[in-house]
Amino acid sequence: MTGRRPLLVAIAAVAAVVLPYVALGGAAYEPTPVRDPCGQRAWEEVDGLEETLEQIALTGFSRAACELGVTREELVLALRSETALDRFAAKHDLEREEVDRAVRDGLTGTIDDAQDAGDLPRLLAPLVRRAVEELPPYLLLEAVQRLGSLIP
Amino acid sequence: MPSPRSALLGVGIGLALADSSIVTLALPDILRSFDVGITSVSWTLTSYNLAFCLLAVPAAYTASRSPRGAFAGGAVLFALASLACGLATSFDFLVGARAVQAAGGVLVVTAALDLLSATTGSDVGAAQTWVAAGVVGAALGPAVGGVLTELLGWESIFLFQVPVALAILVALRGVRVYRLPAPAGRPRVPPNAALFFLSGGLVAALFLIVLLLVDGWGMSPAAAGVVVTVMPLVAIVAARRAPESASPAIRMASGVVFVAGGLLALAVLPRSSWVWTVPPQVLIGAGIGLALVGLTQRAVAGKAAQVVHGGWTLAARHGGVVLGLLLLAPVLTSALDHNEDLAVRAGTAAVLDSEIRPLDKLGLAQDVIEQVDAAGSEQRPDIPAAFEDRPDTEIYRSLLATLEEELDSAITNAFQGPFLLASALALLALVPVWVGRGEPL
Repeated sequence: MTGRRPLLVAIAAVAAVVLPYVALGGAAYEPTPVRDPCGQRAWEEVDGLEETLEQIALTGFSRAACELGVTREELVLALRSETALDRFAAKHDLEREEVDRAVRDGLTGTIDDAQDAGDLPRLLAPLVRRAVEELPPYLLLEAVQRLGSLIP
Repeated sequence: MPSPRSALLGVGIGLALADSSIVTLALPDILRSFDVGITSVSWTLTSYNLAFCLLAVPAAYTASRSPRGAFAGGAVLFALASLACGLATSFDFLVGARAVQAAGGVLVVTAALDLLSATTGSDVGAAQTWVAAGVVGAALGPAVGGVLTELLGWESIFLFQVPVALAILVALRGVRVYRLPAPAGRPRVPPNAALFFLSGGLVAALFLIVLLLVDGWGMSPAAAGVVVTVMPLVAIVAARRAPESASPAIRMASGVVFVAGGLLALAVLPRSSWVWTVPPQVLIGAGIGLALVGLTQRAVAGKAAQVVHGGWTLAARHGGVVLGLLLLAPVLTSALDHNEDLAVRAGTAAVLDSEIRPLDKLGLAQDVIEQVDAAGSEQRPDIPAAFEDRPDTEIYRSLLATLEEELDSAITNAFQGPFLLASALALLALVPVWVGRGEPL
């Protein structure tokens, strides 16, 4: 027994480090979960034009993501450039036109909701709608921000 | 107290063996300098260890015939190759020069064993000094490499070695080696096989911890150098205080359990801070002191033509290092890619759901992604840079902390698989230790 003591000491020392580490959550990794995009579809009350534009964009992207079966975050990341958008479409086995249409439909729907709720000024609505219909999707994020920068 | 000649020979051994890990802390800088990935940059270590492994036995035979010539030739070759490494303008040239450096280094290390025997008059004493010098080299290597990298750049590590490699030539003055030719006999397979597996696992301790500290958690190379010195310091203490009452096999098995357990603990780090790496490093250090030193002594002690058997242990150790590097680097790269995707998605959600100014969410999300793209898949993105032009308010500070935490967790978790694999590799060393338990010295 004495002869094997160093081995038992080694096993005990390892257990004394590993077990507390595991108990403190060392073996687990849970990235912060992202929300289900299909649960973020309804138009909510907003305060001011800036929040209106934000909700048009984010809720519109959620609707598009729900339609495409991806997360809103993945879609937003893909909208940063044409290359990223192509890569996103290929990864999810989607046609580019399919992605573009889902994004436009999602945004158009939220523009309608904003107008119905009276949150989007009558003069601005055609401009926003035109931007969504005419601009390539990967320029939409920039367009929304530029519009926002005009707000005092 | 060793004689000046023994000390100089020890410096030569320590220098050449430290080189298998001395650039570990410089790897992130080399990676950026030549714009290569983790798998590629690991070849800075792999080429040295591969050449060391392949040339160890031929070098040992050469050294057994002419220790003075092998030592002098090796030191000069090592110095010239170190100079070439320091002046390298391309990554391929650096990798090639590292292989030449290893050729010089392995001649120095093997010849030094015979020269130590001639100096101390005892083969056993020479073997003990030889093993101890290697451990001391490993103790100082990462720290010296880290400090030099931070103060003067990675090139200085190699340039610093040139005068040191030439200075050890003084050890040859007046030394005479008288040796009766004796057949080397077959190498001891169990201790060499155990050294092979154990060294494979220890790659994670030398290579991955540093990458995690410097590139993963953003520590400075010098600070990381100090942190990883824990391991070899504990190894020296453990080697000196190994329990004499236990059989060598039990001591070595305990060492293997310490190493494998320490690597397992690194796989389950609960927080992303260097403090949590200290207890696992203590375990690994104790294991190195008990197993690596014991196995090397067992492989060379009492054998005729000790230098040739020393060559076999070097081949086994460095072969294991090469195996570890080839197995672990791709696993880590793949895990980093996967976890970065998860972290970026979670980080984007955190930005979009945050309380910052509504339209700045989209801008900030894009700026963060720009940093991720700029860093590539194998470097830590500079997230604070995305916040530089934004208000210094509590909401933004809290969001930055959330993103950094998300990234830390993802990076730390990416190292889990490689550390687990390294732990399993080290544990395999128990098989040859058990097989060779009854083998007489």
